[in-house]
Amino acid sequence: MSGHVKNMCPQLTISQAARTLLSLLLVAAIDSVSAGVVCRKQPCGSSLQRSLKLTKLIHKESVDLLKTYKLSQGDMSELFCQMSINNVPDPNISGLDPSERMLSIYSHCKAFLPHLKRVTEQQTDLQPPSSSLLSKLSTAHNRTNGLANQINCIYQTLFPNLPIPPEPVDGPTSVPPSQNVFQQKVYGCVVLKRFKEFLSRVTRELRTLKSQVCTRRTPFADTNALF
Amino acid sequence: MLSLLCLMLFVPRVFSSSTLAGIFPQDPALRMGSSLTATCTVSPERGLHANTMYWTMNGKRLPSSTYDLLSPNCLSVTLHHLNGSQQQSGDNLVCHSGDGHVLAGSCLYVGMPPEKPVNLTCWSRNTKDLSCKWTPGGRGETFIKTKYTLKYKLRWYGRERECEDYSTGQRYTCYIPRDLALFTPYEIWVEASNQLGTATSDVITLDILDVVTTDPPDNVHVSRVGELEDQLTVHWGSPPALKDFLFQAKYQIRYRLEDSTEWKVVDDVGNQTSCRLAGLRAGTVYFVQVRCNPVGIYGSRKAGIWSDWSHPSAASTPHSERLQSGSCEPKPGEQNSTLRRELKQFFGWVRKHAYGCSGMSIKLYDQWRVWLQKSHKTRNQVDSIRR
Repeated sequence: MSGHVKNMCPQLTISQAARTLLSLLLVAAIDSVSAGVVCRKQPCGSSLQRSLKLTKLIHKESVDLLKTYKLSQGDMSELFCQMSINNVPDPNISGLDPSERMLSIYSHCKAFLPHLKRVTEQQTDLQPPSSSLLSKLSTAHNRTNGLANQINCIYQTLFPNLPIPPEPVDGPTSVPPSQNVFQQKVYGCVVLKRFKEFLSRVTRELRTLKSQVCTRRTPFADTNALF
Repeated sequence: MLSLLCLMLFVPRVFSSSTLAGIFPQDPALRMGSSLTATCTVSPERGLHANTMYWTMNGKRLPSSTYDLLSPNCLSVTLHHLNGSQQQSGDNLVCHSGDGHVLAGSCLYVGMPPEKPVNLTCWSRNTKDLSCKWTPGGRGETFIKTKYTLKYKLRWYGRERECEDYSTGQRYTCYIPRDLALFTPYEIWVEASNQLGTATSDVITLDILDVVTTDPPDNVHVSRVGELEDQLTVHWGSPPALKDFLFQAKYQIRYRLEDSTEWKVVDDVGNQTSCRLAGLRAGTVYFVQVRCNPVGIYGSRKAGIWSDWSHPSAASTPHSERLQSGSCEPKPGEQNSTLRRELKQFFGWVRKHAYGCSGMSIKLYDQWRVWLQKSHKTRNQVDSIRR
């Protein structure tokens, strides 16, 4: 929802009750929108649980993704993955308190997206069209985007008084410039290896966050929820 | 010459701040059987001497006898009689420092220029679309990424168009979903290209109506002919498309014993939608399939292309009573004759005395038995048929 209503039937009279309902819905939508993401208020525990399940799924798939990637590049790929490359997000989650760590998860998810996209573009040229690698990369990108949105919503629900996470800027420095094929192979392996390690850390982190911020005695989410 | 090459490569712009080494040539495309000399040049800043470096190709260390030390910073390797690339993303030719670290890499694309694609054939499903398949003309082109473009145009007018959908799941096929003219010949061909060359197939000319296939018949039902031990009757429905675009269908049936892989084909079925199979073995389960050929589409006299076979249907012929009474020992795989006699008597009694059980019969029992066998045993057989 974007808060913008189109009047599809100009001759239709909207009743007062309908107008009131519409106004309430608009307020709710505007209040929960952040950079195009609409958050439905959910109990803390179930939101984090859902995100945890999604993270576990993406992590599991990332193991297979990395394996498929290496098989597609030919022998000696293991060494490629250990080379150092600038600008590829590191897998570590930073921050001292839950809000900072959640923000770190969100920004890391967003930071990996352009790299996953770049790897997909490069491998599209290198692999046969029937390669399963391409669909797995696309799935990883979509699911990570979904996870980022979920984390964003949870963050806003748990910490409504803190600034909304900013959208990372997709600048020219976020992904490397054009590379030769060997560099592309190395780059892709480094990205996917770090991506896999990051997801492993997110899994552990979400478990910890769930126990820290979603307890029965201190319903953190309830006291901070708008509804 | 190679020393000069190493010196030419030794310019700051070649080396990024992260990799202070480079290989020449980068990502070359080469013919199978040819030779290649590649050079690895390191920046002096790395403090490495080239005589400590080594080469690998696809993870396999190359013998030092193929190396040539061109300068303290430059080591070359010469490869002869190159084989086709192991993967389409290219063979990994990598230069290492003595401790195994990767200094630089180059991906080799070794293959052959394409030969002209062959065996181009096309078919239309119910005149609505066109699918085409072909075979690469040579093997060498399969080692590197080779692009195939199916092109078509109306024979006497119209512009050249390209097929866009290559994602039908099978390689070397393309699918044109719509906007095809009828009663007008098309010219169709395939162009192949890769980094080493191009090739074009022969042009085939066809009218869509000459290459039409249709869906297999549905509702294929096989049943007994009374108590006749050696016969089964097969009924099926005509393809729905028959009504849409006016053709006469002719059919073909094939059948086999449950435990056999050999099919018998009945060719002279004509345009009937039923057929009686005779000369069968008593007390035996048979699998039956039917397929359809659209003949005379929109008045054409030509036959079309046979459809796929329908899903198998099964039924059993009645057991021979005479054989049972004469045999001393039951043959392996046959029903227990005493059981069947008693079942028949029981079903006869049920029909008379139990309200609403008029459909009870040994035939129903046989159908149940067929269904049971199908569900337990025939799954793999169906898959192998479909393959």
